Amino acid sequence: MSHAESGNGLSPGALGELRHDLRTPLNHVIGYAEMLLEDAADPTLAERRRPLEETLAAAREALGLINDSLNSTRGAGAREVLQLYDALRGPRTRIVQAASALLPAADDGADGTFTADVRKILAAAERLAAPTAAPPAPVASTPDQPTTAPPDGAGVRRARILVVDDGAENRDVLRRRLERSGHAVETAEHGRRALELLAARPFDLVLLDVMMPELDGFTVLEAIKGDPTLRDIPVIMISALDEMPSIVRCIERGAEDYLHKPFDPVLLRARINASLEKKRLRDQEVEYLREVARVTEAATAVEGGTYLPGALASVAQRADELGRLARVFDSMVSQMKAREERLRDRVQDLRREIEQARRVSKDPGPSLDGGNLKTGDRVAQRYEVLSVLGRGGMGTVYRARDLELGEEVAIKTLLPEFVSDTRLVERFKDEIRLARRLSDRHIVRTHDFGEWSGVYFLTMEYVEGITVRALLDTRGRLGVSSTLALATQLAQSLAVAHRHGVIHRDIKPQNLLLDAEGVLKVMDFGVARLAERSTSMTEAGLVVGTPAYMSPEQLMAEKVDARSDLYAAGVVMYECLTGEPPFQASSVMSLIAKLLMQEPRPPAALNPEIPPALSALVLQLLSKRPEHRVQTAAALVEQLAPLG
Amino acid sequence: MPKILLVEDNEMNRDMLSRRLQKRGFEVSMAMDGRQGVEMARAGGFDLILMDMSLPEIDGWEATRQLRAVPETRTVPIIGLTAHAMAGDREKALEAGCNDYDTKPVELPRLLAKIETLLGGP
Ligand SMILES: Nc1ncnc2c1ncn2[C@@H]1O[C@H](COP(=O)(O)OP(=O)(O)O)[C@@H](O)[C@H]1O
Ligand SMILES: [Mg+2]
Repeated sequence: MSHAESGNGLSPGALGELRHDLRTPLNHVIGYAEMLLEDAADPTLAERRRPLEETLAAAREALGLINDSLNSTRGAGAREVLQLYDALRGPRTRIVQAASALLPAADDGADGTFTADVRKILAAAERLAAPTAAPPAPVASTPDQPTTAPPDGAGVRRARILVVDDGAENRDVLRRRLERSGHAVETAEHGRRALELLAARPFDLVLLDVMMPELDGFTVLEAIKGDPTLRDIPVIMISALDEMPSIVRCIERGAEDYLHKPFDPVLLRARINASLEKKRLRDQEVEYLREVARVTEAATAVEGGTYLPGALASVAQRADELGRLARVFDSMVSQMKAREERLRDRVQDLRREIEQARRVSKDPGPSLDGGNLKTGDRVAQRYEVLSVLGRGGMGTVYRARDLELGEEVAIKTLLPEFVSDTRLVERFKDEIRLARRLSDRHIVRTHDFGEWSGVYFLTMEYVEGITVRALLDTRGRLGVSSTLALATQLAQSLAVAHRHGVIHRDIKPQNLLLDAEGVLKVMDFGVARLAERSTSMTEAGLVVGTPAYMSPEQLMAEKVDARSDLYAAGVVMYECLTGEPPFQASSVMSLIAKLLMQEPRPPAALNPEIPPALSALVLQLLSKRPEHRVQTAAALVEQLAPLG
Repeated sequence: MPKILLVEDNEMNRDMLSRRLQKRGFEVSMAMDGRQGVEMARAGGFDLILMDMSLPEIDGWEATRQLRAVPETRTVPIIGLTAHAMAGDREKALEAGCNDYDTKPVELPRLLAKIETLLGGP
């Protein structure tokens, strides 16, 4: 036998609590009885003495039983507790009988206080050894589910109860008692019938006799607990007093509680109510977990792109936290979907503009020549140069084929003046190493940095498309919707890069490529590091290209952070919306002066189609002081979403 | 007539004990939780305090500590009462500042003896 009873002992805390629960009603019985006994010293009240003494004796006996059984030094397990509850039945009945005997004599109205005190004794006795495991009242039960108050039990729900007993009187007594409490009762005279009924209809509780012909209670209990559809129905065993060992066996097999024959109405009601309440809480829990699972499934659906807004409608109706979670979740997904759709529409507009631009502009690419590489060169025995893509501030960019991987790449060669300082080259390599980690559909991937025949080069993903520079040059300016499509994608790519600690430092229309689908790809992440020394104000004459997109702090060679990229994004947006940069001047020096001193004109003043909120957002991005700008790229994505 | 403050959250216990004490000539005032007990005690006028230990708001141990911390109640005798009767409760009560200690259910003669000792004779 592998019984857990020895290891199953109650903790000292639980033991103390149980003892307190048991002693408190006895404390009341004893106190009132003693008090009434003192009053009964008056000879005219002598007939009260015997019942009160009997009450007191029974209560003291019960107290002795509790002290003996729940001894903190000896410990107590489930079996001891069951036995104690059993043992307390005797004294408890005697208390009730003795105290009840005092009632008729008092009910003639002669002594109202006395009657009230006797009733207090009876009430306390009723609480003695009532199941203490009754769980606390649930939090959110009352408002949404009205309870039908049964005739003799406040707050008790009407339940479907199956009574299984071979004794006809027992069935009858139980049926009448339970029906009086407002429950719906069915009976079965043996185990087989019980299982038939359980298979046919739902029940909330089973009262099950242990000794029965055909199928005994233990076997029925095993059948119930072994069936996943029935397992959760609480079972209360009915037994005669001498069947304690089989009761223990039943409780070990999952019976909820037990009742002795003949039935004590108070105990019967208390135990049934406690079991039903426990089941209700368990059902609630199971239902709760089911709904949690539905929210989790919904999250998976969102990830897979198959979530349908409103799919959580039933969970969202709950009044509790889970309901709130479902509502928030659903509205977030709906918002996200709406936002995605809006962005898709905007990208469509952008695509149309790109198509129109491509029709107009003649691709001047391959006609350019004169870089370090020639068509047909095999760079580093790996890349075959196909054509010139363009020429920038640092050198020429070629389209080439990666012979190892069989795909096209872009090779950016670097003019000797950028690679002459070895310290700078080392720093640049660090930056490239960082940038290589970025992987996003809006970021042109950086592959390798190398040297071949004295030529330093950088290879990267080749993007077939048009730069925003070219787009602006042919179209003048872009529509609000196209600009928002572009700005959103730019902000998204910056958010990814910034999260990885990479600052672009050179956001400008030349570095923004758009493919035929309108997807924006930002290139040259980290590359600007190499040019940094020559772009500060002191060497403004050597400035790479134009400082038009540089933030004031960058121009002043102060500390540059992610917010410098946001300034540049603001310049790009300004130019897309109005067709011109925020500051224009005939010389680099006067441009720098304006950039540091002047406030740009609001874009809306140049183009009345621009919504004021968008105009204001662009101006905010162009704030001279980083702390006045939108602070993060992610926040910019958020702020762009509702515009336009 | 000695004045006793009974601090007890359980209504039946309060009813019972107060009536029995009143019958023996004490004037009994009642507080229902630790906070109220401390307030009433500090307002003054009590010769002895019966303090249940498991109380809502502030428990009896804490209430006793608070009463011992201020001059106006530092010397008022306090008898701690608890239903748990666990080993160590007595020490805990005395440590908190109770003069004596008794268990519930109250054995009135024993409690009366303790009260009388603390009040310095009948
Ligand atoms: N990865 C690439 N894929 C396709 N075209 C590119 C790529 N990199 C650069 N180009 C083309 O080469 C031009 C010059 O690039 P770059 O040297 O980076 O110029 P800048 O110094 O102005 O940023 C770009 O404007 C673009 O047209
Ligand atoms: Mg570039």
